[in-house]
This record gives sequence, C-alpha cells and structure tokens, in this order.
Amino acid sequence: MIGAVAHPTFAYRHGGRIGLPRQLILAVGAICAVQPSAAFAASNNEVRISGLSDLAFGSITNLNADNVLSESLCLYAKAKPTDLYRITATGSGAGGSFSLNSGSATLAYDVQWSASPNQASGIQLAANQPLTAQPNGASDSGCTSGSPTTASLIVILRSSALAAATSGTYSGTLTLLVAPE
Amino acid sequence: MLGISKWSALLACCALAVPNAAMAATQGTLGSTSTGSVSISATVPGRVQISGLTDIAFGTVDPTSAASQAENVCVWSNTSGRGYQVTATGSGASNAFTLTDGTNTLPYSVEWAGSSGQSSGTALSTGTALGSLSSTAINPTCSAGPAASASLVVKMTAASLQAAVASSYTGTLTLVVAPQ
Repeated sequence: MIGAVAHPTFAYRHGGRIGLPRQLILAVGAICAVQPSAAFAASNNEVRISGLSDLAFGSITNLNADNVLSESLCLYAKAKPTDLYRITATGSGAGGSFSLNSGSATLAYDVQWSASPNQASGIQLAANQPLTAQPNGASDSGCTSGSPTTASLIVILRSSALAAATSGTYSGTLTLLVAPE
Repeated sequence: MLGISKWSALLACCALAVPNAAMAATQGTLGSTSTGSVSISATVPGRVQISGLTDIAFGTVDPTSAASQAENVCVWSNTSGRGYQVTATGSGASNAFTLTDGTNTLPYSVEWAGSSGQSSGTALSTGTALGSLSSTAINPTCSAGPAASASLVVKMTAASLQAAVASSYTGTLTLVVAPQ
C-alpha cells in the first residue's frame, strides 16, 4: 500500500494500461517509494579517497636511519553534521600487518596519517584499527577546487627493521578504507 | 559487441599477463565507504659491518716462545645466509703482515675464525679473501644478540722474534669484509 500511495501515477500507468496483476503493481510501486529515501541518505554520507600513488623507497642506502616516504592525497568526507571520517589501514602481511615481503623474508613498516597535506609525520595507525574523527578538508570529491590534496599518508621503514632485514627486494600493498562518521 | 562481463574478463586476463599491473595504486570511488590502495616497495642491499676491533699490544715479548693475541670482533651481514668474506692487509711492503721500528721488520701471521672466543683459526694471506663465512650477529654492532661473532688472531713465531732486532715495533692490520 505504501507504494501505491506514493506513486499513484506509476501504478495507474503500468497497471491501468498494460494490465499487470495488481500484486505486481504494488510490489513495483514499493520499490520506487523506497529508492528516493535511500538516495537521500547516501548523499548525506559520502567519502572518497583518491590521488594515491605507489611508494617506492628504492635501494636503501642507510640502514641505520629511519627511511620515510609521504604523499599527499585527496580525502573527501561529507558526513552530517561534522564531516568527519575514519580511516582504517590494512597491510598485506599476515593478519593484515604492515609488512613487506621478499620471498619468505619480511620487512615491517609503520604507517601514519595526517588530515593535512604535505606532512612528514602524523598519527600512528595500527593495522586493521580505525583512526576516528578525522576532519574533512576537501570541498569536492575530487579536490578539483580548493586544495588539490587534503591529507598525508606517511610510511616509515624503521632502522631497527632495516638492520634486521635480509637483503632483497621487498614489496607489499597497503589498503586504506575510509568511512564517514 | 562485447558486454560488460566480457570486457571485465578481458581486462582481468590482461592484468594477469602483466605482473606489474597489480602493483599500481588504486583510487577510491565516491560512496558510503571508499577504498584505495598503494603498492610499497623497497630494496635492502647486501651490507656488512665489522666492529668491536681493539688495538693489539703484545707488550714486551719473550723471544724464546711464540706470542699470540686473539680478540673477539663483531661481523654482521644481512645476506640470506648471513654470509661474508674477509680480506686482511698489513702495513708492510706490498701489504705484508709485518711490523716495523722504522728500519727493521717483524713478521706476524693472521688467523680468522667465524666464531668468537677462538685462539686459532684459518690463516689469512694478505690481500686474499677468506670466504664462505657465516655470521651469527643479528645487529650491525652486536648490540643485541651475541656480543661478538668472529675471532681475530695475531701470532708471532719464536723464530721471528729471535730474528728480530730488539726494538719497539708497530704496524696496522686492515680488515675488509664484504657480503657474500
């Protein structure tokens, strides 16, 4: 009944002229009635992470120092009322840990996040654990207006991990999941 | 004309055929959640380090008997087998293992052991690498794990001491380690 009341024109056009059974008319009408409210909710809580680039440390020349790579990216969050977001990082190591691998050898790394661009340090992330209450800094989902980047991803290879690592070429994937708050 | 599912299958095949395709960063889309990913890579080159060396002072030696001094050193290697080679050179003529008082010379021999606490090892020839050694060090300076991983032994024979002019002799022994 809800569908039939919300969309009398739809029901009339399909039910009256084409002659579909009344049960089917009601079902289709109900779907149409639900869709607008679902779309309305999604438009109020949207996020997007973009502008990501691969991080290649190359050959590490100094194993006795921390090696840091950071990149600025676009993080857009529209979430009423405060436009906050949470971010969860997952590595490709065992259990989602932050580690690279070279065959059976592993190389651990740290991940930090900053809700500002062009940062060389930020808040330490734990694998699979969300960092909450991060403020949106983008004015649109692609950062096409305003600042082209709004957040920083920082990856650190600690000297202690480098000294313990077997020589080799290591690689891995870091996945970032963003959700509105 | 290919449908969406066929295009998807074709793209998947291309991705499999190009290994590096999986290494590229992915961008998130606008939605109730958004997921992106980056590939991270680093190359850790083969490295070694020798540390824990101390000067060797025989003091006044009795020429009627051989003299020997050994010391523990730390050699660290990060290769898969923790392997390394060591090359020693002296400060004598043509890098010979000799001490000098400025005029006269006093020969000595050098031995290397791939573990600490040894009073003898494999004899080294100046400028010739001794390889196939493996370190137990887990830290470049042995600040963690074993405190030392090798032994350096310097010896002087009684014959050499008896042949030497009484004097004070000094020299420098240089050790070069390389990953292996």
